[in-house]
Amino acid sequence: MKEVLKVSHLYIRLKRALDQPIVNNASFSLQKGSALAIVGESGSGKTLTCKAVMRLLNARQFNISGSIRYNGMDLLEMSEKKIRALCGSKIAMVVQNPMTAFNPTVKIGAQMAETLRVHQKLRKKAAYELGIHALERMNLPRCEQLMNSYPYVLSGGMLQRITIALALIHEPDFIIADEATTALDVKNQQMVLEEFEKMKRRGIGLLLVTHDFGVAAKLADDMLVMRRGKIIERGTVYDLFSAPQQTYTKELLDASMLRKEKCM
Amino acid sequence: MVVFFKRCRALIITLFGVTALSFLMANISIVDPAEAYARNIFLHPTEEQIVQIRNEMGLDQPLYEQYIQWLGSSLRGDLGISLQTKNTVVSDIGQKLPITMQLVSLALLWVVVLTIPVSLVAALRQNSWFDHLVRVATILGASLPNFWLGFLVLLFFAVTFPIVEVVDGNLVSLVFPSLVLATPLASISIRLLRATLLSNLNKDYVTYAKARGLRNGRIVWGHVMRNSLPPLVMLFCQYIGHMLAGSAIVESIFSMQGIGTHLVDAIMARDLPTVNGCVLIIAMIFVFGRTLADIINKRLNPRMINRDEVLYD
Ligand SMILES: Nc1ncnc2c1ncn2[C@@H]1O[C@H](COP(=O)(O)OP(=O)(O)OP(=O)(O)O)[C@@H](O)[C@H]1O
Ligand SMILES: [Mg+2]
Repeated sequence: MKEVLKVSHLYIRLKRALDQPIVNNASFSLQKGSALAIVGESGSGKTLTCKAVMRLLNARQFNISGSIRYNGMDLLEMSEKKIRALCGSKIAMVVQNPMTAFNPTVKIGAQMAETLRVHQKLRKKAAYELGIHALERMNLPRCEQLMNSYPYVLSGGMLQRITIALALIHEPDFIIADEATTALDVKNQQMVLEEFEKMKRRGIGLLLVTHDFGVAAKLADDMLVMRRGKIIERGTVYDLFSAPQQTYTKELLDASMLRKEKCM
Repeated sequence: MVVFFKRCRALIITLFGVTALSFLMANISIVDPAEAYARNIFLHPTEEQIVQIRNEMGLDQPLYEQYIQWLGSSLRGDLGISLQTKNTVVSDIGQKLPITMQLVSLALLWVVVLTIPVSLVAALRQNSWFDHLVRVATILGASLPNFWLGFLVLLFFAVTFPIVEVVDGNLVSLVFPSLVLATPLASISIRLLRATLLSNLNKDYVTYAKARGLRNGRIVWGHVMRNSLPPLVMLFCQYIGHMLAGSAIVESIFSMQGIGTHLVDAIMARDLPTVNGCVLIIAMIFVFGRTLADIINKRLNPRMINRDEVLYD
């Protein structure tokens, strides 16, 4: 199996509080075509870990050490130019809240075309056509009209499909999805999960952050449990569900089960 | 179309209101304009002379009639004759306005040239020494009175270090007055734009734009800047009229013959036709600024136009 991402000894600290790392010695790796779920309570550092991979954290605010390797390159050492070229092409993201992900004052088509054109030499028209094809592959209706719409006239489900279409356009090696289903209704959650299944079959690695153990059970192969910035337990999904070692993991599982039952 | 008519109606109401108010204010003042004017011509005017002048100027008629008469002729482009200069008010304004317009345009240019880069750097380097410096400078700039700053500049560059002709007729001579005039607006604009830029830079769409692979320059110029402009455009356009009215101080400090000093002189001399004419022109420019701001902001922010677009799912 090919490793697409290897995070080693990742520490994230706030520059104004260097003595308390928010992410504390996190190490994990992601294989091609597999899914790794990160679970943990709110504020445990899941989002920061994901953002560190794409270098989305403000360098004036955060101090990051350790290494994040992709294809033999350290993403933390890379120039800003190079990391931006990788993001959106080989490393893609599916957002938590699709309603606020796009700039509300620019049409969807323009935002898709600009994304395509920073990664490949394309004329505007060719970029629009590629964009329309990508939307059609996601089974979106009236794609030309969609390209001409402003984000605020579209529903969350549609916008999430658009971010997925954008994530897949350049055949990424792995995708980061930080609570990508949280803001959606049940029907659209289902749709997103199906798309993630397809991605795995295409050999794309998935780094999933979720509160929903159901999602983790369905999609993930391996799982990490984070608490207060530390990875306190790891293993295959099967192992963790059937025999959690840490009481914290058990509590999380129980809480999740309880929520499920209440919903039923 | 409906919006257009509503806007026009608002414009007309504003102009009516402002001119009627200026009429009223001039007439409730304790000084009798006819008497004041008569004292200007004859050293010791007799009662008859004052009455005669009052009749000639139409000041014996009731106020509303004077206003209607003035309105009627001003709609025909006739703002009357200046009591001071004996020229038509229109030709006087036509002579003075360009000088002030030059001054104000140059001041507005300074504001744009200063505001955009300074607030951008301050926002991108939040809490850096530059940001702190800008904070102090803009607080000073927004609170220093114009006349004080003007005298300071005059003292420094015309008296202590006379490197350039500060008081002259050419464009170079406009540099200092326009900078003084620009200072308060530039200070407020920088603070406003810095704040809106910061709030936009922290939005989700910026993070996602980076995740899509866009570089900082593109994100700032293609997305963040244009989204941060509407409040600034509103402030800026409203300030055009403000500056025009406030140009009197700067003009008198730098001995310029613009509309500001013209208006103040007219008020001092009770030259009512000139006062009313100037007020009308300044009010028109005020209203024009607001309209301009609305038009630009509708272009910048599509949500202000098509709210009722179909939401399809
Ligand atoms: N910009 C920031 N400045 C200061 N502290 C921050 C910042 N961003 C995150 N933190 C802190 O870092 C910690 C981890 O945040 P993170 O967003 O990674 O949590 P999370 O695991 O994603 O939580 P959630 O499940 O609520 O999304 C939190 O305690 C948070 O308060
Ligand atoms: Mg989070």
